[in-house]
Amino acid sequence: MAIGSIVGKGVARVDARGKVTGQTKYAGDMRLPNMHHGKLVFSPHPRARVLAIDCSAAVAMAGVKRVITARDLTGSGRYGYDVAHRPVLVAEGEETRYIGDVVAMVVAVSEELASRAAQAVVVRYEVLPPLTSPRQAMAEGAYLVHADAPGNRCCKREFSHGDVVAGFARSEVVVEHTYKTPRQEQAFLETESGVAYQDEAGVVHVLSSLQDPYGVAEDIHLALAIPKSRIHIKGTPVGGGFGGKLNTTIQVHLAAMACLAGVPVMLVLDREESFIFHAKRHPTEIRLKLGAKRDGTILAMEGEVISDAGPYSGRSPEVVGLTMSALLGPYRIANVATRAQGIYTNNLDSGAFRGFGAPQAAIAREGLLDKLARELGLEPLELRRRNFLQPDSRPASPMLGDSPVSLEALAEKIIARMGPKPEPAVGSSKRIGRSICFDMPVFDVGAIPTLGKSGVGATVEVHSDGGVSVYAGGTELGQGITTVLAQFAADQFGLPMEAIRVEMSDNWTCPRAGRTSASRLTFGLGNALLLAIEAVRQTLLTRAATTLGIAREELRFVAGQVQSCSAPERAIAFAELAQLCWDKGDNLREEGWFRAAEDRYMYGHTFMAAGADVAVDLATGEIEVLKLANVLDMGKVLNPVMAYGQIYGGAVQALGYALMENMVTKDGLAKTPSFAEYAIPTAVDIPFEFVAEGIETPYPTGPFGAKGIGEAALNCTTPTLLNAIADAIGVELDAIPVAQEHILAAIHQQKRI
Amino acid sequence: MSTHQLTLTVNGEQHHLQVDAQRSLLDLLREELGLTGTKKGCNAGDCGACTVLMDGAPVNACLVLAVQTGGREITTIEGIASGDKLHPLQEAFIEHGAAQCGFCTPGVIMNSIALLRETRQPTRAEIQEALSGNLCRCTGYFQIIDAIAAVAASGEPV
Ligand code: FES
Ligand code: FES
Repeated sequence: MAIGSIVGKGVARVDARGKVTGQTKYAGDMRLPNMHHGKLVFSPHPRARVLAIDCSAAVAMAGVKRVITARDLTGSGRYGYDVAHRPVLVAEGEETRYIGDVVAMVVAVSEELASRAAQAVVVRYEVLPPLTSPRQAMAEGAYLVHADAPGNRCCKREFSHGDVVAGFARSEVVVEHTYKTPRQEQAFLETESGVAYQDEAGVVHVLSSLQDPYGVAEDIHLALAIPKSRIHIKGTPVGGGFGGKLNTTIQVHLAAMACLAGVPVMLVLDREESFIFHAKRHPTEIRLKLGAKRDGTILAMEGEVISDAGPYSGRSPEVVGLTMSALLGPYRIANVATRAQGIYTNNLDSGAFRGFGAPQAAIAREGLLDKLARELGLEPLELRRRNFLQPDSRPASPMLGDSPVSLEALAEKIIARMGPKPEPAVGSSKRIGRSICFDMPVFDVGAIPTLGKSGVGATVEVHSDGGVSVYAGGTELGQGITTVLAQFAADQFGLPMEAIRVEMSDNWTCPRAGRTSASRLTFGLGNALLLAIEAVRQTLLTRAATTLGIAREELRFVAGQVQSCSAPERAIAFAELAQLCWDKGDNLREEGWFRAAEDRYMYGHTFMAAGADVAVDLATGEIEVLKLANVLDMGKVLNPVMAYGQIYGGAVQALGYALMENMVTKDGLAKTPSFAEYAIPTAVDIPFEFVAEGIETPYPTGPFGAKGIGEAALNCTTPTLLNAIADAIGVELDAIPVAQEHILAAIHQQKRI
Repeated sequence: MSTHQLTLTVNGEQHHLQVDAQRSLLDLLREELGLTGTKKGCNAGDCGACTVLMDGAPVNACLVLAVQTGGREITTIEGIASGDKLHPLQEAFIEHGAAQCGFCTPGVIMNSIALLRETRQPTRAEIQEALSGNLCRCTGYFQIIDAIAAVAASGEPV
């Protein structure tokens, strides 16, 4: 595939103008005639039996259109990915499972009135003791969050390879440690938002900020028994998702309100509701053990992951499974036994967050590798290099990817980019530490063994005026997929970017494309679009060949023309050709369908290296990130400005995870449900020097050789920072976030390494 | 609930309005004037998504009561381009990839205008400091700082 002038260039995002002018309409910016406002009544108790719901005062308020409880719902009233066990509304007699459970909802003429009416709904509860930790939930005799989940086990994954007992027996050095990671909040700036209405034909239209219009349609169908042909989901521009909008958030509630109230309804969660409601990064406890020969060859790994799945299943089986798989990282380990469990509790919900379980694993793995290096008296980098996957070796992992291994190239590049390690000033109380870590974040197209495979579709249409429409059901979250797809179409048709219009995230107009997660869109949707484009190109070429009297093979799409390769003056303008096809009745609208081959799942790995220099002041505990470098093997850098933007953004989320973020719960209640309490990195917290770079080892199954990169930067950046801090202060760290006070305490306790 | 008569100028246009005493400037802009470019990220003064200029100074519109804005001049993201010609910061944000999801962008740009009007040649550290009240979860700030630094270096009037 020839690479034209647009693919690989940092062209401006197609949605940038709307965003910098404030013209982009997010869900909360929509205004529909007769639009009413919804408000949810949440359970204040993580676990309580709902005894009675009294709506009379709310119903009596002027301007209140409808107050809805579980008994008003038609259909199962339940939804959820993996297991459809999440109640839309908790009914009288049922128990709540966390403080994000909803017991009633109100529709009123204004947001303000809806809030007041929601407060007027009186719910009587029998408060019950919640389960607030996986350990407690696993204990003998613990009450069951879901009656059909013995031991409160949401999911369990196991993997073994080789003979782990023999591997440890042969090991000359064995290290073991337990690592703890907190609950990280996606903290997207746009809270869950949407509008919904039912039209005269009974079709429910939901326009909302989401990551998976098809999954949302499925949930609405399940919960409300609305036929799928009457559910229209339109994803609006998303003000950040990062996995937090991957599962259905408010959309079932919105649809129910619109249908039952018979008016268009807008629902926008406030910040606290948002922080409480959606599923976050799983808190985990990971015990990991490594055995190696004296020369550093790792012979065995044993790992045990316990993740707090929160109250509902959702993405937990997939995420927890990936935590387990990712324990191996990009290393050759012959003998492996790993196990992971997700455990139900009454804490906040857990689910997808950029990295999807792998960042937790990287913290344990890269931390323990440094410990092993110390035991062996080896440089941490050298230990890693001795165990790298080799180009011909496949990972001993349940995930068999097909992207070329490029770890040595990454090591060379990161060493060059990090340069010499800085020295602290003489007499300074600061110490400087460095770490370099590696990972192989996964991207996929449809890859979950238990759920079967998924395909991805995309449609392209050339209009009679030579303009092009792309219909692609993935969702623009800010990652830039709309622009990437426009680049593909512009390149393949030889047209300027302005000629391409990309319509996304709509289960009616776009072929099924599934969810926007797993860094899968550039790869999956990009491939589907290229297939569709190729079909249309063939039609255009056939028509052009006849018209120009030139063999098809002799023709190319370039500069708004189809022209002869050898005699460029023999050409037909693209628009003229399109009109001609139109007049002759040629079909210029085609759908491409991309799916994994029958015999395997479609995976790739975006190999990456992260390096950090960190200064820690032993007197104050203050941490300064002097330098952070991320180098990713992107296969092909399709748009450097956007690609590096993904790296910077992912790396700063990883920095927040390492140094400051923790959505604390106590007794199942959120203790930090605001930006004042849940601090995320601001502009002053970013690394002093920040390097983002891509190397390009072409990925044969990727469009233009490209791989998915959306999640990658996050993965091993957190342990890199952690290990650099440990290196600076000479104290082992095994829990995040690491803040000033932790450093001082650690230094105090002299847990020297 | 008490209402008040209010006259204020928004993006150069004068408005006479009847407003509720509790109404925030943010809700006034978004709900009554249809200026939804200014975003609500927290409604509590913590995120900066609602930053607008009031008599040239950046404020969190969610913390300002509408009734306090009588006689004031408000500038929002909708008011900084001249017709089709974008403001230099808007151009720079496009060129440097400084907007990803874009939800923080209007607030960040308004704050940057205030910064550059105050300090023509800010250092990177000064830019970072000035932005510390504007949360962005997507970009890691790096390309935002690049964009602002580029406009500062260009010397173009803001
Ligand atoms: S909405 Fe005003 S500061 Fe967040
Ligand atoms: S671009 Fe998404 S929050 Fe800043």
